[in-house]
Amino acid sequence: MSLNPNDAIIRIQNVTKWFGSIKAVDNVSLNVPRGSFTTLLGPSGCGKTTLMRLIAGFYEADGGDIYIDCKRVNGVPPYKRNTPLVFQEYALFPHMTIFENISYGLKLKGLSKTEIKEKVDEMLQMFSLQGMENRFPRQLSGGQQQRVALARALVMGQSILLLDEPLSNLDAKLRVEVRGELRELQQRLGITTVYVTHDQDEALSMSDVIAVMDNGIIRQIGSPWEIYFKPRNKFVANFVGTVNFIQAKIKEIAGSNIIASYAGGEISIRREGYSVSPGQRVILAVRPECISISENNDGVSGANQLFGEIKKSSFLGHMIRYWVKCREQEFIVDDFNPSRHGCMSGKVNISFDGNKVHILEGEG
Amino acid sequence: MLTILCIVLATFTFVLWPLIKVVTFPTIDDYMNFFRVQRWYYAGLHSLYMTFISTISCTIIAFIFAYTIVRLDVPFKRLFRFITVLPIVSPPFIIALSYILLFGGQGIITKHLLNIKVDIYGWQGLWLVQTITFFPYAYAVIYGVLRAISTNLEYAAFNLGASPWQVFRDVIFPLCRPGVAGGALVVAINVLADFGNPLLIAGNFYTLPTEAYMQIAGWYNLPTASVLATALLLPAVTIFFLQRYWVGRRSYVTITGKEIDLAFSKTPSLVKWLLFSVCLAVTTVVILVYGVLVIGAFSQAWGYNWALTLKNFRYMLARFVEIYNSLKFAFLSSLLAASFSMVLAYIVQKKQIGINRFLDFLGILPGAIPGLFLGIGFIMAFNEKPLALTGTGLIIVLGLAFWNIPTCYSSSLAGLQQIGNSVEEAALNLGANNFRSFKDIILPLLQVPFLSGFAVSFLRAITNLSVVIFLVSPRTVVGTISILGLVQNGVWGSAAAFTVTLITIAFVVLGIAQLIMKKTGKSLDI
Repeated sequence: MSLNPNDAIIRIQNVTKWFGSIKAVDNVSLNVPRGSFTTLLGPSGCGKTTLMRLIAGFYEADGGDIYIDCKRVNGVPPYKRNTPLVFQEYALFPHMTIFENISYGLKLKGLSKTEIKEKVDEMLQMFSLQGMENRFPRQLSGGQQQRVALARALVMGQSILLLDEPLSNLDAKLRVEVRGELRELQQRLGITTVYVTHDQDEALSMSDVIAVMDNGIIRQIGSPWEIYFKPRNKFVANFVGTVNFIQAKIKEIAGSNIIASYAGGEISIRREGYSVSPGQRVILAVRPECISISENNDGVSGANQLFGEIKKSSFLGHMIRYWVKCREQEFIVDDFNPSRHGCMSGKVNISFDGNKVHILEGEG
Repeated sequence: MLTILCIVLATFTFVLWPLIKVVTFPTIDDYMNFFRVQRWYYAGLHSLYMTFISTISCTIIAFIFAYTIVRLDVPFKRLFRFITVLPIVSPPFIIALSYILLFGGQGIITKHLLNIKVDIYGWQGLWLVQTITFFPYAYAVIYGVLRAISTNLEYAAFNLGASPWQVFRDVIFPLCRPGVAGGALVVAINVLADFGNPLLIAGNFYTLPTEAYMQIAGWYNLPTASVLATALLLPAVTIFFLQRYWVGRRSYVTITGKEIDLAFSKTPSLVKWLLFSVCLAVTTVVILVYGVLVIGAFSQAWGYNWALTLKNFRYMLARFVEIYNSLKFAFLSSLLAASFSMVLAYIVQKKQIGINRFLDFLGILPGAIPGLFLGIGFIMAFNEKPLALTGTGLIIVLGLAFWNIPTCYSSSLAGLQQIGNSVEEAALNLGANNFRSFKDIILPLLQVPFLSGFAVSFLRAITNLSVVIFLVSPRTVVGTISILGLVQNGVWGSAAAFTVTLITIAFVVLGIAQLIMKKTGKSLDI
C-alpha cells in the first residue's frame, strides 16, 4: 500500500457552527488519535454530520479551530484538505465509469496514466471490483457502489478517512458483514478514521473511541466499554442500549462499598472510581442483563433484592425480556439463559449485582 | 465572481430593463385613455373573453385526449399523440391560414364543396382556431398528471364499493384537478398573448395584442402601444404566477410511493367510444388543416387552379435568405438561452449570493411576459446608446434568447436539483476546485437538460412571430414575417410553401434532438 507514512491527527477545539438561529455544533472539542477508529454517534440532527463536514471543509466553523496534522485548516477549501470522505449516498459520479470514478482524484493530482492505472487496479482488486471498471454506477448493486465509494476515497493514499453513515443504505445482513470488513481494513491500513453513525451497534462493534453527540454537544467521549457500562449521563445511558434508571440517595460509604437507598430499599455498590458523598442525590443506571430474576413464592425481599410481578414478557430466542413491576417502578430485565426455567410469569424476585450498578454522579 | 456579476447584470438588462421601460413610458394620462377610448377598452374585454372561452374548450378537449391516450385501449393512439405535437412545432397563425384556405372566400369547403359565402372573420372563427392551436399545451400537462396517478387508488375505491362513474368522480378527477387547472392556465396565458391568429382572422374582433401592433405598425404611437401592452401584461403575469405558485404546488402525485403494476380499470364501452370519436374528430380537423397547407403549397393558384406546381417552392427558394435568417437566429438564440440559463440556474441553486430568490424570479419572469410585450420592450430599451441595437440581428437573437430563458432555465434547474449536493462535494473532496467541479461534474450531467432546453427553444424561436415582428429590419426578415406578409397579401400558395418548409425544419430538428436524447436514455419533453 502506498499510504502516507506521516501520522495524522485531527484536533477540534471549541468549534461552533450556526445554521441561521440553530446552533448545529456547540463549542465542541475532540481529539482523534492517530490510527484510531473514532465514531461520532448520536440521533439524527445532533450535529455529527455537520462536525464531519466541518473537518472536510464543506462548512466553515463560526468559532473555534480545526487542526489536521498539526496544521490549522480553518479557511482551507475542501479541495486542499486531503480528507477523503465516503458519502452516505456514495455520491458516485453517474456520468463516469467505475474506473473514472476511482481515478478522478488521482487525475486531479496530475499523476501519470500508468501510475493511475496501477493504483486503481490495486483498489479494484482490494474491493473485488475487477471487471467492473467500465461499468457505470447505476449498473452496480448497492453493495458494489459502496465499495467503489470506499475505493475512490482510499485510492488517494491519505492517512485520514471520513465515513458518513456509509452502511445505512445496505440491507441488514450486508451491513453486519461490511462492518467487520471495514474495521479489519482500517486496522490493516492503520488509517485514522472518523465515522458518523446513529447506529449504536455499529459504533460499539467498530470503534476505538466513541463521541456521543446530542443537540450539538458532545455528551461523552470514551471507549465502547466505557460508553456502555460507565455512561456519564442519562442521555448516553439511554441512547446506547437499554437501561433502567433508579432515583437514589447516597446513604453511607462503608469500606469498599457505597450504600444507596431508594424507594425499594438499599443497594450496595462497589465504590471504585466514584466520588460521591453521603446525602447526595444520584441516579443509578442498571442494564437489563445486569439484573437477575428468579421465581418467588413467599413474597420476601432480601439484600439487593426486590419483589415484583411480571407484567409482560417477550421471547427473543437467545433471551427473554421481562417487564417487572416492583412497587411504583417497572424494570426491564433480560434473562440470557431462558432454557433454565422457561418463560416465567407472576410473582418474582429481581436482584442487582453491586458490581454492575452504575452511579450517574452528575444527575439526580 | 466575475461570471456571477455578468450573469446578474445581463439578467437585469435584458429582462427587467425592457419591462420597466414599457411600463413607465406612458404618462398617467395615457393610461387613463385606455378607459376613455372605447376601442382599446373593448380590445381588453375581447382578449379576456376569447381567453376565457378558448381555455374552457381547450381544456375539455385536452382532457379527453389525455384520458384516451393514457387509459383507453383504442386504435390510432400513436396518431392522436402525433396530433398533439404538431401544433407545438408549427408557426402560430398556421391554423388561421388553413382556416382561411378551407372556409374563406376561395375556401375548398365553402366555395367548392358547399358553394356558399360566409363571413368567417370574427370571434367564432378565432375561437375554433385558438382551440385547435392551443389544446396541446393543456394536453401535455394533464397527460403528465393523469399518467402519474397510482392505479392502486382506483382499485382501493372499487374495493370499497364504488362504481366506475363514482371512481372517476371521487378519485381520478380530483387527483388530476391540479393538472387540469395547470393546463387551463397554460392555455389561458398562450391565448391571451397570441398575436398571429387574431391578426389574420379576428376581423373586427380586435384584441390587445393586435391593437398594440396596429398602434406601432400604423401610427408609431409608442405611448398607446405601451399602455395596451401593459394592459395585456397584467392578466398575463397574474395567470402565470397563479399557475406557478398556486396550482404548481398542489400536486398529489407523489404521495403513494412505490408503484405496483396494475392495469387501469376498464372504462365503460359507451364512454370509451364516445371519447374516441371526439379525438378522431379533432384529429380529422388537424389533418385537414395540415393537408390543406401541403396541397396549397403545391397548387398553381388556390381556389382557381389546382394544377400541381413547384413554383411556390421556387419562389420560396428565391427568398431563402429569410428561412436562413430564421435558422440562424433560432440557432444562435437557443444556444445563448441554453448556455446562459445553465449558468444562471447553477448560481441560483448552488451559490449563495443574497439575491438568489430574486434571480430565480427573473429567470422565470419572461415566461409571464407576452412575446409582443417583450418585442416592444426591446425596441424601446435598445434603440439608443449605449445599447443601440435596433435593426441588427443581435437584437433578434437577444430578444428570442431571453424570451426562451424560462424554458431552458427550468430544465437546467430541474437537472441541477436531481444532481444533489453530495456529488459536487465529492469532487471538491477529491481535490477539484470550484471551476474544475463545474466543468467535470455539473456540465456533463446537465447535458440532457441543456439539449432539451436548446431543442424546445429552437422550435419556439423558429416559429416565433410576436417577439420578432418589432425587431426585424429589411435585412433581418425571418420566415414567419414573410409568411405573415404573404398571407396579408393573399398569396396563399407561397405562404403555404414557406410554412411547410418551416414545419419540416422544425420536425427535422425535433427528430435529431430525440435521437440524441434516446442515446442518453432520456426522452424529450416538449
